Amino acid sequence: MVARATSMRTGVRKGAGPRAPALMWSSDHWVGQFFSMASLCEVLIEDVEERIAREMLVAIAECAWQIEARYSRYRSGNLVHRINTANGAPVELDEEAANLIDFAARLTQLSGGAFDITCGILRKAWTFDGSDRVPTRSQVDELLPFIGWDKVRWQRPILQLRPGMQIDFGGIGKEYAVDRAAALADALAPNVSCLVNFGGDIAVRHPRRDGKPWCIGIEACDAEAEHVGTIRLRSGAVATSGDSKRFLLKDGKRYSHVLDARTGWPVENAPRSVTVLADTCTQAGTFATLALLAGADARSFLEAQRLEFWLQG
Amino acid sequence: MSEERKNISAAVAAASCSLLGTASPTVGAEDLERWSFDTALLYYAEDDDRVQDVSATIAAQRDFGDDRLLAMTLSVDTLTGASASGAIALDRPQTFTSPSGNKVYLTPAGEVPLDDTFLDTRYAFNVSWSQPLGRLYTFTAGAGFSTEYDYTHLGANLGLSRDFNKRNTTLSLGLAYSQDDIDPVGGAPIPLSEMRDVGDLGNKLGTDSKDIVDVLFGITQVLNRTTVLRVNYSYSNASGYLNDPYKILSVVDPTTGETLARVPTGEGPTGVYLYESRPDSRVKHSLYTEVKHAFGAPVLHAAYRYMTDDWEIESHTLEARLRWPIATSSLIEPQLRFSTQSEAEFYRASLLAGEPLPRFASADFRLGSFDATTIGLKFGQRTASGNEWSTRVEYYRQSGEIPSGQVIAHEQYPDLSALIVQFGYRFRM
Amino acid sequence: MKPNALLLVVALVCSGCANVEPWERDVLARPEMSLDADPVDAALDDHIYFSKEASSGGRGFGGGGCGCN
Repeated sequence: MVARATSMRTGVRKGAGPRAPALMWSSDHWVGQFFSMASLCEVLIEDVEERIAREMLVAIAECAWQIEARYSRYRSGNLVHRINTANGAPVELDEEAANLIDFAARLTQLSGGAFDITCGILRKAWTFDGSDRVPTRSQVDELLPFIGWDKVRWQRPILQLRPGMQIDFGGIGKEYAVDRAAALADALAPNVSCLVNFGGDIAVRHPRRDGKPWCIGIEACDAEAEHVGTIRLRSGAVATSGDSKRFLLKDGKRYSHVLDARTGWPVENAPRSVTVLADTCTQAGTFATLALLAGADARSFLEAQRLEFWLQG
Repeated sequence: MSEERKNISAAVAAASCSLLGTASPTVGAEDLERWSFDTALLYYAEDDDRVQDVSATIAAQRDFGDDRLLAMTLSVDTLTGASASGAIALDRPQTFTSPSGNKVYLTPAGEVPLDDTFLDTRYAFNVSWSQPLGRLYTFTAGAGFSTEYDYTHLGANLGLSRDFNKRNTTLSLGLAYSQDDIDPVGGAPIPLSEMRDVGDLGNKLGTDSKDIVDVLFGITQVLNRTTVLRVNYSYSNASGYLNDPYKILSVVDPTTGETLARVPTGEGPTGVYLYESRPDSRVKHSLYTEVKHAFGAPVLHAAYRYMTDDWEIESHTLEARLRWPIATSSLIEPQLRFSTQSEAEFYRASLLAGEPLPRFASADFRLGSFDATTIGLKFGQRTASGNEWSTRVEYYRQSGEIPSGQVIAHEQYPDLSALIVQFGYRFRM
Repeated sequence: MKPNALLLVVALVCSGCANVEPWERDVLARPEMSLDADPVDAALDDHIYFSKEASSGGRGFGGGGCGCN
């Protein structure tokens, strides 16, 4: 399930190259777009001078690209690459990376070990491409000795993984980037309502001056279905976890890409997608992820948190 | 496991704040660990030198997270002036003994007798605690205390509410009990006994008390995205000393309509006046309905209350307020209220000499039949730091009617007009 | 107490209900839409009407008695 701003009507893209951010005016607000973190990123800004909107868009795009560059496991030479190729040696982390590690450790604790940034190596067994290539139990079991936060030595700011272990910020990186981008927009243009939407992870800090909410449409899990609903967001954040784009389908059973780090297998009976409203995107994303990891208990978990949310499947 | 689940929001919020390096800039995080205060200064003045009241109120609220709220209110009011005592106006001056029995006061000819209410300061304190119980229940408990020269109140209440339909519907149940002690100046007079001369407290007893049980059942229902409705049914049972110890009735000659004359020994009343008598129990039922509807930015609030009790008083009250935001940080809110009530079964404008005394009788205008209208305007302004100033001005007019069978000659309902001015300030610390 | 009035209100309540989803509660979440917004104003008004009229309140508990009625 992907949340995408439905208020955008015009589709003309200006600027050079597919990566350059594009800014256009849509009825009563600015829409900026660029690609980052394998998603279409959008920035909606309420009515301000064009140069301010452009400045905000460029700054947000730079912020997203920087975070991607530093924490993506697909880049060589960046911090994550250095950690993952350290082969047992300790690595000193900067403030931001240390904060991310602390946060990930807390999530591991809150989820009872189901969420774990060291389970990235499971991609050696699992490739979620919509095919039916589900790994065997032994293939997964082979990887389990290299997974588990309990096997990591973390004494801020020194991180030491065992040889063969890897970390992956994929589960928390995008929401963090959204919150960072929203903070940046706030610093550049205080009190201007700016909605940051990185592939469905959204944050807005200030309501619009005219009192109107930002409208976000929710697409259904199945491509054929109509859009499921609209979120009218004045301020706060939305994050979605789910399997609509990445999954495996074998013998009629759907394997979500959200893996339980304790077993190495996808969570059973999880909803197909969870969308949560919270104060920050990081919080919303955390609740969405924890809800999916709760499997069949997703709904009661979210209700216990007294949050606004909705589930599909 | 569910214990752990309950506390997760705070843990996640804290983890998120640490990660993002700054406090969450949203309303939710701001509310936590901060006190919010709502203060008001009110000036109430009736015309014709009747009651004047100045009161100061401060209400404080704190959110302890997870929807646990503590609220406290402290208010002080100073009352001066006098209100209609129940005796009727005559073409000649009248003299009455004051409640203390130490002196007399004079009412000029043609004026409504006002009882000699003394300067009185009332202090009131209320506290309440509200918290969730499980997923869908909310529990509230509260206590209140107030004290003034001749009256002390002590009360407690409990409430439970449950949400249904994705929190679109809430059912609530409330229970309140209060115990009030009355210590009238001079002592509580024997009902329907005569007002005596200065120094004679023979018909005055000591203190008395009453207790009140209230039960409330309510439904709050979200009607649509912009409208919410609440309906409350309340039952109230008061028993004990329900009289107003300072209210009297004039005894009049059935043919001339003049109050029977009396010659005091020394200083004392110049007419025959009897202290009122009310039943020692009162059961009230009321149905209160209110609706809030947002027309875009402006919000309309409308409410209707119907009350009926076993004193045969029936009242209808209708009020409406329209909150109209202007500019970015101001608002204006016109208000209108209409209220009408029918008199109590034992309401008597005066008592007829020679006729047997009824068991209960009161000329208190508040139990009479009247229509009341309030028109008001509130203006509010939000400051840059998020605090809010407000000013409210209201004009209240009550005009009543004596039931036709009770008008002999001079009986008149003591109409009342009052101006109310209020200044308020809301802030957080 | 008129039972018909109560029944009418309950029927109105039930018929007028739309199911509002959690993500559509933006308007209802505004502080001015709370039924207990401006509690101090309400308490002051209630106190004035309690001392000048025979009926009072209806919203809920939280006030105190006073020697005026």
